[in-house]
Amino acid sequence: MTDPPEPIRPPDLAQVGRDDRSRRPFPAGLAASLPIVMGYLPIAFSFGVAATRSGFSGIEAFALSLIVYAGASQFLALVLLASGAPVLVTAFTLIAMNLRHVLYGPTLMRQAGAAAATRHAWAWAWGLTDEVFGQALGELARGRRFSEPYMFGLGLGAYASWLAGTAAGALAGGGALEAWPAVSAGLGFMLPALFLALLLSMLGRRQVPVIAVAGAVTVAGTLALSAAGGILLGMLAGAVAGMVRR
Amino acid sequence: MNAELLAVALLAGAANWAFRALPVIARADRLAAGGWLERFLSATGPAAIATLFVAAILPALSADVVRLLPVITGTLAVLGSFYRSRSVALATLAGALAHGATVWALG
Repeated sequence: MTDPPEPIRPPDLAQVGRDDRSRRPFPAGLAASLPIVMGYLPIAFSFGVAATRSGFSGIEAFALSLIVYAGASQFLALVLLASGAPVLVTAFTLIAMNLRHVLYGPTLMRQAGAAAATRHAWAWAWGLTDEVFGQALGELARGRRFSEPYMFGLGLGAYASWLAGTAAGALAGGGALEAWPAVSAGLGFMLPALFLALLLSMLGRRQVPVIAVAGAVTVAGTLALSAAGGILLGMLAGAVAGMVRR
Repeated sequence: MNAELLAVALLAGAANWAFRALPVIARADRLAAGGWLERFLSATGPAAIATLFVAAILPALSADVVRLLPVITGTLAVLGSFYRSRSVALATLAGALAHGATVWALG
């Protein structure tokens, strides 16, 4: 018989009471998206600039962000399409890069609990990017209750910022942030800072082996294969470490 | 609009939606209850966040101290702010602020 599954971290009851009672779910989700918004804007802006520099129109750049909504693979799409790669090769490369997203939904819903509603998941789960998944999981790990309106707020803030950043970048062209290197650098550090803060929020003694294995394999996989390969391998290796360590 | 770009976008976008939404709609986590898959999913969260942090910070690492210093101050600011406030948002903003301020100070 196996041990009961370990929650990521016991809920902080003081935080639960303070946040769940004082804020409505949708606005709370929007508010929680702020660090993601700050991180997405400069990246999406860079994407808009890169797309127009690669010869695509502003509308085409916006369409990629609207329809694909996956940062790294959008940049790769520009390179592949501009180099004349076949459509199917390009599409399957992009699809392979985002395969890791398959794990996000079950992981999130496992933490949300069996009674969590998924009636509108067909809509809000579209926004389940790396950062939105991390932020939502961090909230649940700190004892907050899962709600679909919260997920809508969190996802909508992030998605809107991605689209707005793309449009602004496509309209502005290159050089808009070059006059402000410190601002550009600070915004560029927003996503690593967010991931580190999320990691700290769910850190416990039993997660240390999982985190160590995931980190080490990500480094090795990135150096040996590619960034996307490192992410997928790191995630799987960490999860396997968590499975076999008991 | 470029037809090839539209075709790539639609194929990749449809796959992204399927990867993100279908496992939630199907409640794939329930299939895993009590078994090895549940332990796997339980560990996937911390593993995913750790992986994404490493992947995000890796390109910023450099042997050049001047380029590395903003990463160090930003990281320390996240650690210090989270230790004091236990707030993910505040820690994130503090890290970005410290990183940007260090870049500005270094000129």
